[in-house]
Amino acid sequence: MRSKQPWRKLPIALLFLLPNILGFIAFILVPLVMSFGMAFTDWDLLRHNIFRDEPLRFVWFENFTTLLTHPRFWQFLGNTFFLMLGLPFAVAGSLGAALLLSRVGQAQHRFKPALGVAAAVMAVSTFMLLRGGMSEGGLWFLFGTMAATSLVVGVVSGGTLYRTLFYLPNFTAGVATYVLWKKMYHPTLGPINQGLQPMLEGLADWVRGMPGFFAIGLPMLACVAALLIVWWHVRRLRNAWDLSDAGMIAVTAGLLSVAVPVGMLLWWFGYSVQTAVLATVATVIVPGIWIGRRPQPWGKPREADKGLGTEVALALLLVPLLLLLSAVMVVGPGLPVAATAGLEPPNWLGDFHWAKPSIMIMVLWAAIGSNNMVLYLAGLSNISPELYEAADMDGATSSQRFWHITWPQLAPVTFFICIMSVIHGLQGGFEMARTMTQGGPAGSTTTLSYFIFSEGFQTGRLGYASAVAWVLFALVFGLSLFNFRYGNRHVD
Amino acid sequence: MKKFFLIVFAVLSLASAGLYWTAPEQQTEMPVLYWITQNDETKRETVRLFTEWRKEQGLPPVELKIDNANLDVTKKLAHGLAGVGADIFDTYLYQTELFASSGMYMDITEIAKEQGFSPVETFPAFRGDIMVNGRQYGFPRNAGAPVIWINREAFARYGIPEPPERWTWDEFEKIGTAFVNAANPPGTRQRSYFVQMLRPDIFRRGLGLSIFNETMTACVLDDPRNAEVMRRFYRWTTELRLVPTLAETLNLTAGGEMAGSGVFYLFHKGQIATMYIPRYAFIRLRPMGKIDLRVIEPPHSGFPNMAFSTGFIGVYKKTKHPEAALSFLKFLTTERFNMLVINSGDSLPPVPKFLSSEAFLRPVGLEDEWPLQEFFSRAAPSIGIGLSRSPFILSERIYQQVTGIESAVIDSVLAGQISPEDAGRIEEERINAEIASNIEKDPKLRALYEKLTAVQQKIDQRKAEGRPIPAEWITNPFHLTYYKAQGMLEEDDNS
Repeated sequence: MRSKQPWRKLPIALLFLLPNILGFIAFILVPLVMSFGMAFTDWDLLRHNIFRDEPLRFVWFENFTTLLTHPRFWQFLGNTFFLMLGLPFAVAGSLGAALLLSRVGQAQHRFKPALGVAAAVMAVSTFMLLRGGMSEGGLWFLFGTMAATSLVVGVVSGGTLYRTLFYLPNFTAGVATYVLWKKMYHPTLGPINQGLQPMLEGLADWVRGMPGFFAIGLPMLACVAALLIVWWHVRRLRNAWDLSDAGMIAVTAGLLSVAVPVGMLLWWFGYSVQTAVLATVATVIVPGIWIGRRPQPWGKPREADKGLGTEVALALLLVPLLLLLSAVMVVGPGLPVAATAGLEPPNWLGDFHWAKPSIMIMVLWAAIGSNNMVLYLAGLSNISPELYEAADMDGATSSQRFWHITWPQLAPVTFFICIMSVIHGLQGGFEMARTMTQGGPAGSTTTLSYFIFSEGFQTGRLGYASAVAWVLFALVFGLSLFNFRYGNRHVD
Repeated sequence: MKKFFLIVFAVLSLASAGLYWTAPEQQTEMPVLYWITQNDETKRETVRLFTEWRKEQGLPPVELKIDNANLDVTKKLAHGLAGVGADIFDTYLYQTELFASSGMYMDITEIAKEQGFSPVETFPAFRGDIMVNGRQYGFPRNAGAPVIWINREAFARYGIPEPPERWTWDEFEKIGTAFVNAANPPGTRQRSYFVQMLRPDIFRRGLGLSIFNETMTACVLDDPRNAEVMRRFYRWTTELRLVPTLAETLNLTAGGEMAGSGVFYLFHKGQIATMYIPRYAFIRLRPMGKIDLRVIEPPHSGFPNMAFSTGFIGVYKKTKHPEAALSFLKFLTTERFNMLVINSGDSLPPVPKFLSSEAFLRPVGLEDEWPLQEFFSRAAPSIGIGLSRSPFILSERIYQQVTGIESAVIDSVLAGQISPEDAGRIEEERINAEIASNIEKDPKLRALYEKLTAVQQKIDQRKAEGRPIPAEWITNPFHLTYYKAQGMLEEDDNS
């Protein structure tokens, strides 16, 4: 009797599953197979449709060769990777937010009076600013009121409000968010530039008053900071090599993360591309020899790619940081001259060089309070309190508690977040490009996903667009394999 | 669970049935005609007048419904090619070849001749807009000729002399710089511009250059004259800041549309001194309150010209109601419709004779506008030239071909990525590469290309010899007008 029951229930079960299966077949499986086939044809909506009977031509790999030899494809691929440079910061931001939010509940009773006073001061200040005519457009008043209200309600309600607020970007419709950010980035009327303008005016006064510091001192400081970072990084690589924690490939990758900014710096200073490339190569080879000459400890053979995941992850933090310091070195000497006419806030979305960073900033804002934060919150709640108690008994500092307990315990969550972030990063950029910039200026915000849309649905070249989509898939697949191969070593 | 499943199934089935029975077609006995256009007062009035007109003509009643949810060109194309396009749809500027080459337009050449809405009923400059390879695909709904609008109060505020009706690039630069400097004192952020946008084609034409050659078989922008235009664009936009960049313009309009209300608001306030826009600006400016206006020609550099093109209505090939759809095109030629265009302040009426009507020249109660209307009736027909569009490359596929390449190149010049001298070479290479790719895929197109290339060789030879060129050899509307003005056109008696 029992053995027959499952079979009798099968039709019912299938009936329940049918809508999902049909949906999967119709909207995922069939388009997937079709797009793979289409990538090898010259399917063009304008020539192959219900009104025209031109035969479809099988073009083998023509779409792929056209794509890979097209300079714009490389530009758009570069844009996609550039926008992904913000991922480590987004991951770090969501971890920071999760850490803060996990402490709100615990710390609330201690800080409640202080928060209450801060909230009251903020609310009164905002009101006074409004009365004084400070906020012409009302936007700063709006922001001030919102911040004050958040603080007050947060004090009363506990951490729940903050968690909701942080998560807000994630359940707000993307397009609405992008339209809002577009308004915020408005070069003259947007609140960002309206807020920046007085600060830049103050900075300009400051620069004019201390031209020597800004022209020489600041670039020197940036240079020293960059050199210290490079020195720390090379020493760290040497130690990793000595301990067999890093193989040859990992060391090379690690050195590249400081060598590339060196090359970029020279190029920004007006040196030729050849010189910049030579300097990059030299920055890899010279310390590489210094590290590589050291004897192998215990005669233990190294795996060439050991530690590669760590170096790539670190490079994602180091490269932007060193590029930022390089930018200070390049821009600094010219600052006093620029400040004589007053410093202007950037034309965020309208300037070729600022458009991508503008989008990165917005993505960072959205990513901090995203699902990543929720995952980290869940991860934090799963860490056994005994570990912290043991650490406390051993006299561990907050920093030691974080690096030796929290961070390793969160490794599986971080690994998952990294994998998903890389996948989303490669596939992303469409909505914001469509809503905010139309891929411009001069293609600076066109990512591969927007390129697929524009080729497929604006240009109508379905075959070509499918080829781009499959190249993107190969990239996602390749990077995910890389992550699994080198990233999950730290998980256990 | 079974019951729950059945309930859900029943509810969904009922909802589907409800949706079907509440569809407009089910609500009326009459055929329902869908028209993709904006849903504004003028269009709603058009619907009313069309219904009245059909009744007077003794034609069976139809219900004309406005569909403004699918205005996006991508949607029009996608729906059309999926077999569910609207019966009639607005077509703008460069979209003609796009829809024609896809095959979704109804070819109305013969029926238009029979029923009286062939190209002879409208401006000659529009032949290229409504026809592709000699076949007609629609009829103009209005006629657009962008001119320079002047806010006289803005000029008076800063004591800047107004430009004359016909002016040169140098005058534009001089007056524009004076305005921008006066309106944006040193040490303040720029809030005022001289003009909100400019188009490169009229500037090239001012120097006797078109994007395509005479037979439109090739792009010919690798030319010092194009470099000069790009240099001016760069200087005016980046150095002198007379014109905002495209992104700044989009920000000015706030909604992302070039013709959005932001520009009109700033123009009305005098924050933008002049505006490059067709006559429909009246629709936006009138409700904002009285303002002292003038309209003049766009600046030139030897050959005064202005763009003259149409927004027209095409008929979907798979329409269920061809008679009603075609009758709408006939309606566009009527006095009733043309008067509606005139009175609404929209662009110029599609039928030329109405330009000289009293209603157009001297609208009642709008005496201040009479000199402006007189200018519109005179300028566009005299120096307006249709768009140059090659049959070998889509002008706007949708953003990726000619217009897409052009805007990407101009963007790159303004961003300092490429030099003005390189811009023409890059644009020419990219457009000609697209042409080569298109003719390789399409044998019919290749045959036409070979024929016209042979004609082009003969034209080049005549040009080298300094001899006039027969008009019938030329397909580019710019060269027809330009050579005629230069005395280089050989016209037979019939042309």
